[in-house]
Amino acid sequence: MSDSASMTTTPPITIEHTPGQLSLTLSGVLDLRTTPEVLDQLAHIHKPLPKLIRADLSAITGMDDCGALVIFQLRRMAEKHGCELELAGTPAHVRDLLAFLRVDDPPRSAGAKRPRPGIMTRFGMKTIQVWDQSGRHVSFVGEVTVTLLSLLRHPGRLRLGDTVLYMQRVGVDALPIVGLISFLLGLIMAFMSAVQLQQFGANIYVASLVALAMVRELGPIMTAILVAGRSGSAFAAEIGTMKVSEEVDALVTMGFRPAMFLVAPKIIASVLVVPLLAMYSNIFAIAGGLLIGVTTLDLTVNAYMAQTMSTLTIFDINWGLFKSAIFAVLISTVGCFKGYQVRGGAASVGKATTSAVVTGIFLVILVDSILAVILRYWRP
Amino acid sequence: MSQEAVISARGLTMGFGDLILMESLNFDIHSGEIFVILGGSGCGKSTLLKHLVGLYKPMAGKITIAGMVLDPDNDDSFKRILSRIGVMYQGGALFSSMTLGENVALPITEYSNLKGAAVEELVSLKLRQVGLEGFEHHLPEELSGGMKKRAAIARALALNPEILFLDEPSAGLDPISSAELDTLILRLNRTLGTTFVVVTHELSSIFTIAERVIMLDKETKSIIADGDPHELKNASDHPYVRQFFNRQPEMER
Repeated sequence: MSDSASMTTTPPITIEHTPGQLSLTLSGVLDLRTTPEVLDQLAHIHKPLPKLIRADLSAITGMDDCGALVIFQLRRMAEKHGCELELAGTPAHVRDLLAFLRVDDPPRSAGAKRPRPGIMTRFGMKTIQVWDQSGRHVSFVGEVTVTLLSLLRHPGRLRLGDTVLYMQRVGVDALPIVGLISFLLGLIMAFMSAVQLQQFGANIYVASLVALAMVRELGPIMTAILVAGRSGSAFAAEIGTMKVSEEVDALVTMGFRPAMFLVAPKIIASVLVVPLLAMYSNIFAIAGGLLIGVTTLDLTVNAYMAQTMSTLTIFDINWGLFKSAIFAVLISTVGCFKGYQVRGGAASVGKATTSAVVTGIFLVILVDSILAVILRYWRP
Repeated sequence: MSQEAVISARGLTMGFGDLILMESLNFDIHSGEIFVILGGSGCGKSTLLKHLVGLYKPMAGKITIAGMVLDPDNDDSFKRILSRIGVMYQGGALFSSMTLGENVALPITEYSNLKGAAVEELVSLKLRQVGLEGFEHHLPEELSGGMKKRAAIARALALNPEILFLDEPSAGLDPISSAELDTLILRLNRTLGTTFVVVTHELSSIFTIAERVIMLDKETKSIIADGDPHELKNASDHPYVRQFFNRQPEMER
């Protein structure tokens, strides 16, 4: 404590250059605080070096393994410039430390550095990885499918408590955010379209636009995106962390099938509640449109609702619900799959979580587009 | 070795919410000592350790380290205390995204003026001390449990702290590595004068390294033994303490 101040003022090394000999005197404490400066001074001794380096260690009062770096440095200097190194007056404690650190043992090589692959190698590795992963994805989907089908025959095997819990986490807990976002979405859609439609005196069609856009497309999509962000990520993080802490291994050795124990409740819960969430989202969006219709477009509540009802068909609603169910399967399967891919530690869990959300949303949009094309040719 | 107390606890009460684990503990840990905290499973040894390093706040009482009151809310003094201590956690707590070498180098590059090559050399010296030389570029996930423990000790040693806290260092190690670890602790204690505070169950390890032990008791929520383990083994007036050191099961009493 008190000696740290004096240490900084008097460097623990003095260097004397006499013809034919380089004399070094080390003194005081050689530790993490003082060693960097000593190493620095040693590195700046001007070359060429004389034939003999003589280091006097007798005045060293304390030394730790960091101080031992000085000895290493001296040895390297001597070896490099072909001179002789003489360590004089080594105190017992220093000798003790050097023996403990086995300084005479040749340093074992640190092993191959992690290779930093070139761009082509990385491209190739990534390609192989994607190929590899798609194989694993297929087998995962297969396993999950078999598990779900086996549930049809033995419904009792489903962990009901877990399923209800996930229904709450995915569905009930998401109600506030889904409600708020949908309400604002409906409001904005009505507001923006009103400006255009008003020019043609077509105010009433604001109701049709909001209802149709929400029920057929935006309701299921917005809900899916929110669920991917809230629950897909949670699934990946949960299973990933279980993987890291060997909980998944424990399940396997206890005779449980992880697909049945962990994945099935999540998928079934999602499939049950996400369509309901989408429905709920539609209602709030229509309420948002209604608010704009009544306040700025001089529509009555009755007229707005009548127009909404006459626009929507049962098919539209069913189609929206069907899409939501598909999205729910995609999001929950991807979330669980990414969780399964986790290997190693915390960083890997983070990657899996991000990937679960990104892949989930991507698949939702992709499948939605495909369904839109199918619908176009099925019911022109 | 001086008899000056480097850590002292006065009236330390710890617990969570309504649960009180230990009540008004008083003990001193002297500078340069190897001090072992003992007790049955679940009595709060690791919790006590976490109190001593400032991760948990005591319900009552105070802890002094190197003359400074341990107060995690006081940035200035807490930082000065932290610069004097090193902690090894039960599970290793190595950063999984970094290689072993990077794990050990992190505190060295952050808190010293050493340059690149010297840091690497020091890191390999640290790893040599724990018998892991040559594993610089391995990721923690590629190591066995025992190797992770030793790597964690190397990281705790990085800045040569005055006080080293080890939470179950030899649990899960084979007898040879465990004995090597004991030797390492003794050597560090002799060569660098490091004070050790160790939580452990390994009887052989306790008898080899411990200069002083305290034993915590769950029932009375207090310290039931304090002293040299060799003496306590036969001379303690507390049956539980003798039972512990002689490794006797509960029913044989």
